[in-house]
Amino acid sequence: MQKFFSNRRLVLIVIILVVCFGLMAGSVSLRNRRNTPPIIQQFGNDIVGFVDSAVALPVNWMQTSISSVNGLMNTYAENRELKQQVTELAQTKVRDQTLAHENKQLKQQLKLNNSMTDYNTVTAAVLMRTPSSWQRQLVINKGQSSGIEKNMPVMSGSGLIGRVTEVNKTNSKVELLSDTSESSNRFAITLNGSNGKVVNGIITGYNASTNELEMGQVTAKAKIKKGTKVVTSGMGGITPKGLYVGRVSRVGKDDYGLAQRIYITPATDFNDINIVTVAEAASQE
Amino acid sequence: MYRLSRLKYVFPIGLFVSLFLDGALSHVWAPLFFRYPYSMVSQLVLLWLVLSYFFEDDIEIPLIPFAIAAGAVYDLYFSGILGLFIFLYPLIVALTKVLARYFSSSFLSMIMIFFVDLVVFETLNYWAYYLIGITDVGFGDYLVFTLAPTLALNLIYFVVLFWPIRAMYRWGLDDGQV
Repeated sequence: MQKFFSNRRLVLIVIILVVCFGLMAGSVSLRNRRNTPPIIQQFGNDIVGFVDSAVALPVNWMQTSISSVNGLMNTYAENRELKQQVTELAQTKVRDQTLAHENKQLKQQLKLNNSMTDYNTVTAAVLMRTPSSWQRQLVINKGQSSGIEKNMPVMSGSGLIGRVTEVNKTNSKVELLSDTSESSNRFAITLNGSNGKVVNGIITGYNASTNELEMGQVTAKAKIKKGTKVVTSGMGGITPKGLYVGRVSRVGKDDYGLAQRIYITPATDFNDINIVTVAEAASQE
Repeated sequence: MYRLSRLKYVFPIGLFVSLFLDGALSHVWAPLFFRYPYSMVSQLVLLWLVLSYFFEDDIEIPLIPFAIAAGAVYDLYFSGILGLFIFLYPLIVALTKVLARYFSSSFLSMIMIFFVDLVVFETLNYWAYYLIGITDVGFGDYLVFTLAPTLALNLIYFVVLFWPIRAMYRWGLDDGQV
């Protein structure tokens, strides 16, 4: 039998391994440093994205039609409930408009330009999800040409779901909050304690087995009730203020018993995302 | 001759359709595939490559170049991390070729070879991402929460799609050749 690891073959295997890991490490660090991938990578991604929509759109369309049949089943009960909410909503909306108007006037008087609560949105459809258990990542069908930039926060349904990690001309990649990698979900968030104190912090992790976001190293002594709403705080200057993240599900101690750790149930189911909204902070000139 | 058979069109189209279906199905069936804490990885491409090798008969499809192309698309578009799948897909094709030498070509030995392919593929994928720092999941968790569900899903794919794909290849090989 021929010797499997002949000299030539061994050299070849080593070279392939080196190239493989070199490429991987290189592309990871490049992705972290640069705002957009190299032009060749962008070009390839745009072409592939175009071809992908030929497969992805029919599949998505089929799913939409199936789920609309499902939706038809419980329309009656839902409708009755929603009607009630609509009447309340109209009131809230009018009040919201009045407040926004007042806020604008007050800002003008203070000669304050756009603050972190002002943001514009871009709506995009999800083309596909990375079939991998190591990357919780979506590809959406809008890119640079629609004004999307790296690190913009992405929302779906009622809450925050992740951030843009790679932008091409016509599509971009979104890393979900549930991603296991270390830097994916560090958003600055804030919540109100029951005694009026404000607790600031960042999302430090995600617990896959219970589907909870973790907010670690909270040293504030504020009492936090279960069910408190958590929103982004706007600190850091990239993510706008006031994007809904989720509700507090429980409060515990960290591993050393010194600081509090707050567990948050995310507002959106990360496995059921079809349309996303990308938020860009209004320019602060 | 590959150039003269219908497979010249059937094979590449099937390859890329299954590649994009992987992404689309992972999106559409996400509640099923990624139910906490389990995650299933849909690998129709792998299935297509392995079955193509089994069904190609004496027509030699240039599997390795196509595997490299599929891997390049996966790296660029699906994961955004270059350099892994572009090597893994051809490696699995080569592994299938080596294994197929030692076994008869019955359904059971084919599914067994596919099983081995999947284990090697997923483990190398996990190991590489672990080294690069994409993931920090422990090996035990990987076995229970990723590998086992992935194997289950892809073996179901295999059983369901074996006969349709074979029929497709018979049609492709039938009268297209000279």
